[in-house]
Amino acid sequence: MEKTKDFVDWQNLANKELKDKDLRKHYWETPEGIIVKPLYTEEDVKNLNHKIGLPGLPPFTRGPRATMYTNRPWTIRQYAGFSTAEESNKFYKEGLKNGVMGLSVAFDLATHRGYDSDHPRVLADVGNAGVAIDSIEDMNLLFEGIPLDQMSVSMTMNGAVIPVLASFIASGEEQGCSREKLTGTIQNDILKEFMVRNTFIFPPKPSMRIVADIIEFTSKQMPRFNSISISGYHMQEAGANQVQELAYTLADGKEYIKSALERGLNIDEFAPRLSFFWSIGMNFFMEIAKMRAARFMWSEIVKEFNPKNNKSLALRTHCQTSGVSLMEQDAYNNIVRTTIEAMAAVMGGTQSLHTNSFDEALALPTNFSARIARNTQLILSEETGICNVIDPLAGSYYLESLTSNIVEESKKLIKEIDEVGGMVKAIEMGIPKMRIEESSAKKQARVDSKEETIVGVNKYKPTEKQEINILSIDNDEVRKKQISRLKDLKQNRDNNLVKSYLEKIKNVASGAGNLLEVCIEASKNRCTVGEMTLAMESVFGRHNLSTKTISGVYGKAIKNDGKVDLIEKELDKFIKENGRRPRMLVVKMGQDGHDRGAKLIATAFSDLGFDVDIGPLFQTPEEAAVQAIENDVHVIGVSTLAAGHKTLVPLLINELKKNDAEYIKVICGGVIPPDDYPFLNDLGVAKVFGPGTNIQEAAIEIVKIL
Amino acid sequence: MKLKEYLKFNNISNKDFSEKIGISAVSLSRYISGDRLPEKSIINKIHHITDKLVSANDFYIEDGDSQILSKVQKTKVDDIHKKLVKGEKKSLAKAITLIESSLGFHQLESDYLLSKIKANNNTIRIGITGVPGVGKSTFIESFGMRLINLGLKVSVLAVDPSSKTTGGSILGDKTRMMRLSVNKNAFIRPSPSQGHLGGVAKKTSDSILCLEQAGFDIIFVETMGVGQAETSVYDMVDIFLVLLLPAGGDELQGIKKGIIEMADLIIVNKADGNLKKLANLTMQEYKNAQNLISNNRKDITPEVLTCSSIEEIGLEDVWSFIKKFVKRRKKNNLFYETRKNQKVNAIWSNLNTKMEDYLNNEKKLLKMWKMKI
Repeated sequence: MEKTKDFVDWQNLANKELKDKDLRKHYWETPEGIIVKPLYTEEDVKNLNHKIGLPGLPPFTRGPRATMYTNRPWTIRQYAGFSTAEESNKFYKEGLKNGVMGLSVAFDLATHRGYDSDHPRVLADVGNAGVAIDSIEDMNLLFEGIPLDQMSVSMTMNGAVIPVLASFIASGEEQGCSREKLTGTIQNDILKEFMVRNTFIFPPKPSMRIVADIIEFTSKQMPRFNSISISGYHMQEAGANQVQELAYTLADGKEYIKSALERGLNIDEFAPRLSFFWSIGMNFFMEIAKMRAARFMWSEIVKEFNPKNNKSLALRTHCQTSGVSLMEQDAYNNIVRTTIEAMAAVMGGTQSLHTNSFDEALALPTNFSARIARNTQLILSEETGICNVIDPLAGSYYLESLTSNIVEESKKLIKEIDEVGGMVKAIEMGIPKMRIEESSAKKQARVDSKEETIVGVNKYKPTEKQEINILSIDNDEVRKKQISRLKDLKQNRDNNLVKSYLEKIKNVASGAGNLLEVCIEASKNRCTVGEMTLAMESVFGRHNLSTKTISGVYGKAIKNDGKVDLIEKELDKFIKENGRRPRMLVVKMGQDGHDRGAKLIATAFSDLGFDVDIGPLFQTPEEAAVQAIENDVHVIGVSTLAAGHKTLVPLLINELKKNDAEYIKVICGGVIPPDDYPFLNDLGVAKVFGPGTNIQEAAIEIVKIL
Repeated sequence: MKLKEYLKFNNISNKDFSEKIGISAVSLSRYISGDRLPEKSIINKIHHITDKLVSANDFYIEDGDSQILSKVQKTKVDDIHKKLVKGEKKSLAKAITLIESSLGFHQLESDYLLSKIKANNNTIRIGITGVPGVGKSTFIESFGMRLINLGLKVSVLAVDPSSKTTGGSILGDKTRMMRLSVNKNAFIRPSPSQGHLGGVAKKTSDSILCLEQAGFDIIFVETMGVGQAETSVYDMVDIFLVLLLPAGGDELQGIKKGIIEMADLIIVNKADGNLKKLANLTMQEYKNAQNLISNNRKDITPEVLTCSSIEEIGLEDVWSFIKKFVKRRKKNNLFYETRKNQKVNAIWSNLNTKMEDYLNNEKKLLKMWKMKI
């Protein structure tokens, strides 16, 4: 780089000001491996890997629309998971009165996995993390009094995407809104499910066929509906860094384009309806750069498929503030975190935004916390003046240089995926999953050894306990209600007709034809979500995940500040007394597929010297107890996120009792409201660990408990 | 060292010592005589106060020469054995834990347990090896379920490599054997190898005996095909299976030559979808090679087969071969002879392990000696 005299002067001056007299020691290597310097100048934007351009024009780096927020601000879209259709309906109507412009439906875990509420495997999952939808009847209740031709509806559904979308379309038509008038988005992003979220039902191949069926159907019959929301969100939640999130999501998008083209569709028929979904974390500038880099790269990727319509090249996105950045400790700090993240999303030019409520690390949001979250967006949009200028940070030496770096790094990852033959192949080989888990373990190690600060968690801890009111749901009640509704449905429908439709679904599944098309008719005739799924499952099979784990990453990344030695000492003592290492079974019961926590615990504890058994995903408490007994573990570590602890942990402890195996201790970790700690302790749970627990300290405590 | 010796060595009276740890002199003398076992917390205290010279083990062995179990221990093991015969899985799990334990008194208990177990020649012990990713677990899952449907009880012992730096390990086999792991006629037990190969050999073959006592007809012993573990597994099974990927020679497979030569049956796995052709090609290649090496086998020529664990094709042939193999070897007595030889080998390998342990303990003696000077 050419150095001006001024720059050299600055360098000398800066070195003088520094204690260690060396500016280079103040370079920051981000988790993505990008080196950030203390100062950027015009030299840094001379050779960029991206084009800046103008908003609304290719390559769309500055935004997909020409006017962006100067015409209309982003859509405030709050995702909400209430257990029943009636309650969700009430919440939607409340939100619409208070500035919310689009609906967002979160489904419960049973629905995600294609089980009706009366299925024995979903005892603890009905009404958890969202609304239970068993049939078109539930859909009708959900949208009662909400005109679907005027309201855009976003649905987070991937596994049971066919029966749920079908019920939605059918419900709209029963309401009098024809399908071409429906607006909104269906997530329909199955590739990332195989990568991180695990809410799949069928194996990869038939799953990709389903995606193509939906793209085909919507592109022809639902012109105002986004056929897919290609999501990086869950990758960052699972521990991916921003470059990984960007690269793998774009690679997913490329794969979807390919499979739609194979179906015989024209690129311009569907590409304008592809939308994206990012997570926005605390690395403020990195997130903004990521969103701009994404738009540039996507336009380049789509260009390879020769579209005629410029709209095909424009990346439109929804954003959500990061859930993993929410902490249980000192929870009010989360309001501040969410504000900063929301600001990054807006500076990055998002089309719609969900802001998390501060109590979401503890439980589902209350009315109070949901209101603050909503107001965060309203304040940004109406009090700050940010909306008056398009892409306000463009041209910043730092930001443009960072955007360029991200483009370069992500291209490397995409190239790696292309070289093995695309994302489906890469997923089968487990490449992205492995990379993400590695990055997640490293991040945990950085936090545990205080290289990364989290205020109130690993630094500046509060001395007083705060009381926070949280919402609790009684999912047993929800389940009973759903089951009785299902019973009614099954009594009042033409069961012969149902049978014939289920046969038709099987035929389409094993041959040609569009599954969404046939399922719309089936749901109008009161086939349930579970029945339609089962019909497809009889042809496709249900996918089982073989769990691969990494080891050594956490151990290598952790800085030894004496705790490692302490653990070793405790372990030595334990082995001397017991004749073997402490052995722990990490289980994930119920239908919640988020296994980041469980995987992280497994790899970290084994790196610290435990023998760790891993249970398969979607285990029942009975299966978990049997595995614990057969493997003769000392302790079962239950990882829980979706409020299943209230039902599943008592069942597990009961199973242990039934087998006279109370000598096996139970500990819990994950998103558990502190109010439930006493309940769990009374049951006999030896220890509960919340989000943000230091793993080394937890390890020491566990050895002591044993 | 024994507490008695320690007190004598250091000229400490029973009374002083009992006060130091806060128990009555009577209790102490009972502990010393071996009439009663101290609680864990008291063992801990003694351990620390004696500068770690007296540890848990020292209370269970009455004398260095005559290693006799206490009554309490005997009853405990008798109980385990009684339930083991009934096929109770919890006792089976406990028995294997005893076998795997590094504590001296656990070893005594497991030796006593094993002395009560009678050999059973109606079982089949199947060793399985192959490089990571070849699909061992998926194969055992599909094949095992098939055997269960034939009315057999199936068990799996899996040896996982322990991490070298800390010694911890991740044992994820059950996630790859979902159907088998929840079946009541199956038992899967992954074991950490603790970086101690000789020890694994002894422990695994003892565990096999427990599984047989608990009524399991088929015992799979699964191991990675990259280290030395398979040599010891070979030495504890009736038939040794090597799983291969549909691909070219040994080098490409990353498997050692010697391992192929040990195989009684080579299975080219993943013969599904568009890999079928390649699998057949690989099979042919190995068949040709096999003809060259197998001349020195007296009885039965090793076979090469293809199979698809996912599509469940070819499993029938594998089972027919295993049955044929065992039948032939029983007829020519080799089956029984091999088991007998293996037992002798196990004793030797056990002796080696014990020697090693002894020498490790020697460090303590050294320390004591230095202290005296």
